[in-house]
Amino acid sequence: CNDDFSETPPIGALSDEALANEDGVSLLLTGAYSSLNAVSSTSFGNGWGRAADNWWMDVLSDDAHKGSTNDDQADLKEIEIMNWSSANGYFYARWGELFTLVNRSNAVIALTSSLEDPGSFTDQIAQARFLRGLANFQLQVMFGNVPYISEENYALSEFNQPNSGPIWDQIEADFQFAIDNLPGSRDASDVGRPTSWTAKAFLGKTHLHQSDWTNALSLLNDVINNGPYSLLSDFVENFRLAGENGTESVFQIQFTTDSGQSYNGNVVGALNFPNPGPFGSCCGFYQPTQDLLNAFQTDTDGLPLLDTFNQTDVTSDWDILSFVPDTDPAQPTDFTPFAGNLDPRADYTIGRRGIDYNGYGEHIGEAWIRAKFANGDISGPYLPKKNVYWADDAGTQQATGSWGQQLSGVNYNVMRYADVLLMAAEAAVETGDLATGLNYVNQVRNRAKNSNYMQATDGSGDAANYVIEPYTAFSDADFARKAVRFERRVELGMEGHRLFDLRRWGVSQTVLTEYYTNEARTIPGFGALINPYDSKHDLFPIPLGAIDLSAGSLNQNTGY
Amino acid sequence: YFWTLMRVLLLLIGIGLGSVYANSSYAQTKIDIDVNDVVLEDLFKEIQTKTEYIFFYKDDVLDRSKRISLKLRNVKLDDILKRAFRNTDLSFKIDDRQVVIVKKLPEPKITEEPKLVLQSDITGTVTDADGAPLPGANIVVKGTTNGTQTDFDGNYTISAAADATLIFTYIGFAAQEVAINGRTAINVSMIEDSSKLSEVVVLGYATQTRGDVTGSVASVDIDEAVKTPVVNAAEVLQGRVTGVQVITSGDPGTAPKINVRGFGTTNNTNPLYIIDGVQTDDPNVLNNINPTDIEQMNVLKDGAASIYGARASNGVVIITTKGGGYNMEKAEVSIDLYTGFSKVGNPIDLLNVQQHADMIWQSRINDGITPSHPQYGDGASPTIPSSIVGYTRVQSYDPIVFFPAGQVNAAVQPGGTDWVDEITQTAPISNASISIANGNENGKYFMSASYLSREGVVNHTGFKRGGTKLNSEFKVGEKLRIGEHVNFSFSNTSPGDSEAIEMAYRISPLVPVRDDDGFFAGSAAPGIGNPANPVAQLYRTRNDYDKRYTGIGDIYLNYEIIDGLSFKSTLAGGFEIFDSRRFVSLDPENGEPISTNRLTERDQTRYNWSWTNILNYNKKFGEHSINAIAGIEALEEGQKSKEVARSGFLFEDPNFYLLSNGSGTPNVPTTVDNTDVTFDRKNTLYSLFGSVNYSYLSRYFLTGTLRRDQSSRFLGDNQTGVFPAVSAGWLISDEDFWPSDGIVNRLKLKASWGSLGNQTLPANNPTINISSLSEQFANYSFDGTSITTGALLTQVGNADLKWETSQTTNFGVELSLFESSLNISAEYFNIKTKDLITRDFSLISSTAIDAEAPLVNLGDVENKGIDLSIGYGNTTRGGFSYDLALNLSHYKNKVTRLINDSPVPGRGDLRNGSVTRTEVGDEISFFYGRKITGLDSNGRFMYEDIDGDGESLVDGDDRTKIGSPHPDFTYGINANLSYKGFDMQLFFTGSQGNDVYNYSKVFTDFGLFFNSNRSARVLNAWTPSNTNTNVPALTASYPLEEASSNSYFVEDGSYLRLKNMQIGYTLPSDITDKIGMGSLRIYLQGTNIFTITDYEGFDPEVIPIDADGVGQNLNLGIDRRVYPQPKIYTLGINLKL
Repeated sequence: CNDDFSETPPIGALSDEALANEDGVSLLLTGAYSSLNAVSSTSFGNGWGRAADNWWMDVLSDDAHKGSTNDDQADLKEIEIMNWSSANGYFYARWGELFTLVNRSNAVIALTSSLEDPGSFTDQIAQARFLRGLANFQLQVMFGNVPYISEENYALSEFNQPNSGPIWDQIEADFQFAIDNLPGSRDASDVGRPTSWTAKAFLGKTHLHQSDWTNALSLLNDVINNGPYSLLSDFVENFRLAGENGTESVFQIQFTTDSGQSYNGNVVGALNFPNPGPFGSCCGFYQPTQDLLNAFQTDTDGLPLLDTFNQTDVTSDWDILSFVPDTDPAQPTDFTPFAGNLDPRADYTIGRRGIDYNGYGEHIGEAWIRAKFANGDISGPYLPKKNVYWADDAGTQQATGSWGQQLSGVNYNVMRYADVLLMAAEAAVETGDLATGLNYVNQVRNRAKNSNYMQATDGSGDAANYVIEPYTAFSDADFARKAVRFERRVELGMEGHRLFDLRRWGVSQTVLTEYYTNEARTIPGFGALINPYDSKHDLFPIPLGAIDLSAGSLNQNTGY
Repeated sequence: YFWTLMRVLLLLIGIGLGSVYANSSYAQTKIDIDVNDVVLEDLFKEIQTKTEYIFFYKDDVLDRSKRISLKLRNVKLDDILKRAFRNTDLSFKIDDRQVVIVKKLPEPKITEEPKLVLQSDITGTVTDADGAPLPGANIVVKGTTNGTQTDFDGNYTISAAADATLIFTYIGFAAQEVAINGRTAINVSMIEDSSKLSEVVVLGYATQTRGDVTGSVASVDIDEAVKTPVVNAAEVLQGRVTGVQVITSGDPGTAPKINVRGFGTTNNTNPLYIIDGVQTDDPNVLNNINPTDIEQMNVLKDGAASIYGARASNGVVIITTKGGGYNMEKAEVSIDLYTGFSKVGNPIDLLNVQQHADMIWQSRINDGITPSHPQYGDGASPTIPSSIVGYTRVQSYDPIVFFPAGQVNAAVQPGGTDWVDEITQTAPISNASISIANGNENGKYFMSASYLSREGVVNHTGFKRGGTKLNSEFKVGEKLRIGEHVNFSFSNTSPGDSEAIEMAYRISPLVPVRDDDGFFAGSAAPGIGNPANPVAQLYRTRNDYDKRYTGIGDIYLNYEIIDGLSFKSTLAGGFEIFDSRRFVSLDPENGEPISTNRLTERDQTRYNWSWTNILNYNKKFGEHSINAIAGIEALEEGQKSKEVARSGFLFEDPNFYLLSNGSGTPNVPTTVDNTDVTFDRKNTLYSLFGSVNYSYLSRYFLTGTLRRDQSSRFLGDNQTGVFPAVSAGWLISDEDFWPSDGIVNRLKLKASWGSLGNQTLPANNPTINISSLSEQFANYSFDGTSITTGALLTQVGNADLKWETSQTTNFGVELSLFESSLNISAEYFNIKTKDLITRDFSLISSTAIDAEAPLVNLGDVENKGIDLSIGYGNTTRGGFSYDLALNLSHYKNKVTRLINDSPVPGRGDLRNGSVTRTEVGDEISFFYGRKITGLDSNGRFMYEDIDGDGESLVDGDDRTKIGSPHPDFTYGINANLSYKGFDMQLFFTGSQGNDVYNYSKVFTDFGLFFNSNRSARVLNAWTPSNTNTNVPALTASYPLEEASSNSYFVEDGSYLRLKNMQIGYTLPSDITDKIGMGSLRIYLQGTNIFTITDYEGFDPEVIPIDADGVGQNLNLGIDRRVYPQPKIYTLGINLKL
């Protein structure tokens, strides 16, 4: 026996030395991007909470219900009814997933800095810092007091850092570095990577979240005026294959399906498809609220009912069966969809009875809804649309997993140009520039107005009475603020932003308390279970599991 | 029965003989003799000049023509005479200094009454298994007092009837009955008996006489143990060996979990197994061994085990298989057959359909909702539908279309479906093994073939095994012996669906097994929830398998260099080919049906080889006896595995299950559920070792051992570890001052200290960072359509990782009382494990990258405890004999240091987070959660305010220790009773003082899924009129913390189980003789006949959740999907030809 006998190098593994080159940087950077889709090898909390598209953040706002029956994913039910526990697996899963993204990005930065010529990897470092900034931004808005894990911490395996306060400075530094070092455009083969314009838009958003209106406005204006983006002509294309990585895309998570297990599909979004329903499969989650649907009501001028939208309900079919029992063949029950004015975006955002559901035919109501009125379920009669691939796109965007779940290929818009316009509008309004605000809001409304409207399934024309017009003027700052904020909701509803908008505006308690009351009108089960909003709900609790593992470095947020 | 009876008699006789020998102190004197071609008289003179012996004989006794030559060194007188008298008709007796030489004659017969039957002389030789003659063996004609003893060459002559039976006994050997059958020559090869002081105990590289052992070595009475129908040989350790905790699974083919003396580590606690020459710490290897092939099974529990140094800290189980014997008169053929059935032992009570409906109603009422339910209607009380309302199933796929409502029906069964009953079965089991052993003066062999089939009590689970074994040894010349052991086996495990047991708890009793069209019925109806039909799940796994093709064996040569010094070289190896198939079928009855089927195949090969070279020196110098070994060993283990999954199979027919027949893109995952499935690994160990056993007067014993190991798992200086051990023993009762006629006839004290290592890790290269390409976790699409390959860090290395070492101190006392009818052994141990190796989940915490946490030397842990065994045996005058044995083990586990002082939570992959915790000052893996203090005025849990802040009682600071999975003690009670031809065994085993976390309550008590079924416990749920209960009020929406870790889940896991009861009858030999058999025994046997426990789950014996060896000991005592322990009843025969 010589010494070689005691050396058994690993087979099929990449050593640190093997990665210490350009290929290694590229492999690790791809690995960092990969964790955007929230499929990693962490096992923290409830895997469904990883949610790359932040769908369940909408559940905590007034946009969506959890969906399905109350007992299905009971931990999310607990979150929805405002019974938040630091042990809840949803918080923990999202937390762990975002730190995976932070640290896979750190891995790239740490590796490049150890190489001979770090300067030749500027683009890669900038991409990694963009991703890290993005992850930290999300952590910041979710948990408030989060530890900052730097590339030095990463290199030294010092992952237990104190969560002593906001990390806005570090987030801004990452985005700024990305602005300074990313290219201004990408080839088609790299459309999934950010450009300097992407970073600029996100830095603008970062300032917006700190109410730093001036800096936000100047960055966002720069993006609007000098950047490569424009609104797609058709609103719905943002959620369809045709619009993927189109001109409106600022940054999308690339979900891609293949005919195998589709590890690159939206694995964690698998719950959010109708059940029972046109696919006959999992799982009936992520149901829009009555409140959100009501918000799409417009007046005779085609403008939203900013203050009164919740005084009238868009007709709900909750508690109405789809079919008359014991008829042969089954006879549909009587139901007349809402005849009042609606923003056309309503029927591209919310699936409701009597209206075509993403090309799969008319949503037939209760028979496609997993939640049941009689059970006290809290989820209502509506279905999500933006995350569900359209019938025509199914060939490319559908895949199914090992137990039948959907592994959708629909990209998620982390940010799209309409969002940039509305953020800029908001910053403009807050800085007193109502005209710019009006301009930007109306660009968004005009696009909606000029889009193709949802058609009735019988070919008789528009599926509903769509009326939408731009604002003629913002009478004052208050009105302007209200209009901009409302526009964000109807434009970006069910896209994972609403909760953080409410928090940023400091109106969570007011808006959500009102929402709880209004929603209970059509969904009594919701009213029976919902708990009052408390100021502690402005931030998620630091996950108990994270504190347990942190060797004492993490402290709980106030109120938990 | 007779064997037992004779054994007891033999023991008494043996003690008698022993005491005679013990008195003749001159007999121990040793001299050198060198005579050449002399007559015997001259030899006697020579001896008289060198010793004080005086020879007496009549003149006509000695044959003056007989001339002999002898050249012997350091031998006793009787050895000299034995040789000198070879081929003469002389015999001798030594009485103090007097040596009386007489003509050899049969012992005078003490015949009380004249026999009417025809007597004839029978002669023969009695030898041990190696062919060495056994002088002084007793031969008795069965049923008489007519007996004799063998002479110094093992020869005997006895007069007996031609149809009589002879009983051969010898101390330390099993008694044998041999029918004469008219023969006049009968040679007998005696088999050594275990559990006797003179037994030779195999301690790995060397052997030792049991009475001389100074370390802590426990042995299994293997003949008794294998009477229980075991699959995995390690099961026999349960309750039979003190200091060894064994947790078995009811799932046939699942290896038991074994801990020797507590939990020295949070890492792997599997002991090291030495199977003949083959070393492994994989208990699954024992699935491939036929238990009846085992000759001896010894457990080394302390520093005495440290000759295995680096791998020994969890104890060493030494298994030697049967060999055959030299100079056997004829082949011995043994046939063992049993057949029987098993069934679920302790089914849990779930609600019937009416109770289920009432539960729903009560929940609604408690929630303030007017009760109504899609199935049970909306009346004041629920109505049980005759058929499931709104039932449907998939009509066609792609896209999935369900049958319209009303087209298909599923009738609700009277009382509802009893799902636990439906997924369980009375399962047939059978076993057959045949062995043959023989040998002549130059060679011996043992071969066997066996087949075992054990269907599981859960449908479509089971285990089948066929195996062959061949052990042989040959003498090449005088000094060289060459031998081999080889064992081939094939096993096929039907794994079933591990989820099915959980689903049986959950699925509504409304759902029938099959719908009215004969298809499986399922959850595709409102108000049913989403549990899958577990009968369907299991049925669909019926073509799944885990097949293992295994070979292990060794070839050795043993060369006697000079007298006392021998060299042994052993080349051992093993391989396993693992072939597994899982097919996920379409499930049209499911409310969330699978849209595409999928085939997953995994192929894995493992190999290991070792080459061991040992010098063995064994010599006596007067009263000094030395046995020393020095050795060098190299060992390599490797595993390679791949898994491929593919979807889209046209036919769900096993004849079609070939990966090439799928239509989807094949996936090759690296890990599935945190278990690595695609890998190629290797590790090596290179060792030098030596040990010296020294004894003086066979009264004082001293052993020293040193081993140096070099492991490929570590780096640099840390690769090497040195492991010393010493032990000493003192046989006080052998001292002159010890009263020879006292109550205590034997007393031995022993002590040992040793340092042992553990290098068995769930990683082969734990010292370095490893990144991997990963289709699952690292790939991304940059252009929106094609996939780019990426890499991620998968393992954080720890270059400083070093051996985990355990320092074991052991004190023991062995006591025999009342002429050895009562034997007591007690040992105290203190095992301090330093630098225990485990993954540091605090370092790679939740704010870290998603790589495997590094293996670190996390801290220190201490286990103190006591092993006690007591045996009592006796035979009454009426011929009733009994043996009672009790063993009891206790350990106290304490973590004394953790590197960052931060408690380590368990990682059980459980809903609502981990339920265990490990922290300094407490045990490994205690249950951690909230303490329930009672129910409030709404029937909801109230919690103890642990942190005393008076605030929210559900925050993290209100958690505390709520239970311990560690027992106060575990025990086993054996009783062997026999009378005439009947024998009976009772074997109880139990555990006292441990808690079990009944995780299944998440489903059965809290209705994690509301429409699911519940445990019958909820019949006693809180209501305003039933407040004196601990079961919280029924509700459709439990607060999450009620189902999080809390004391409601923690139950007393103590149990006492009648593990085995067996009644056997051995046919009288006059009958067996007539039909030409050696012996025939038939028996009825029952396993797990009853269990006394307060535990309310399926079974209090809870095998730890296995997370690929990662931190599994951080998740002890959690009952999750535990496979129920079956009751097994068998009818068997043992036949010897």
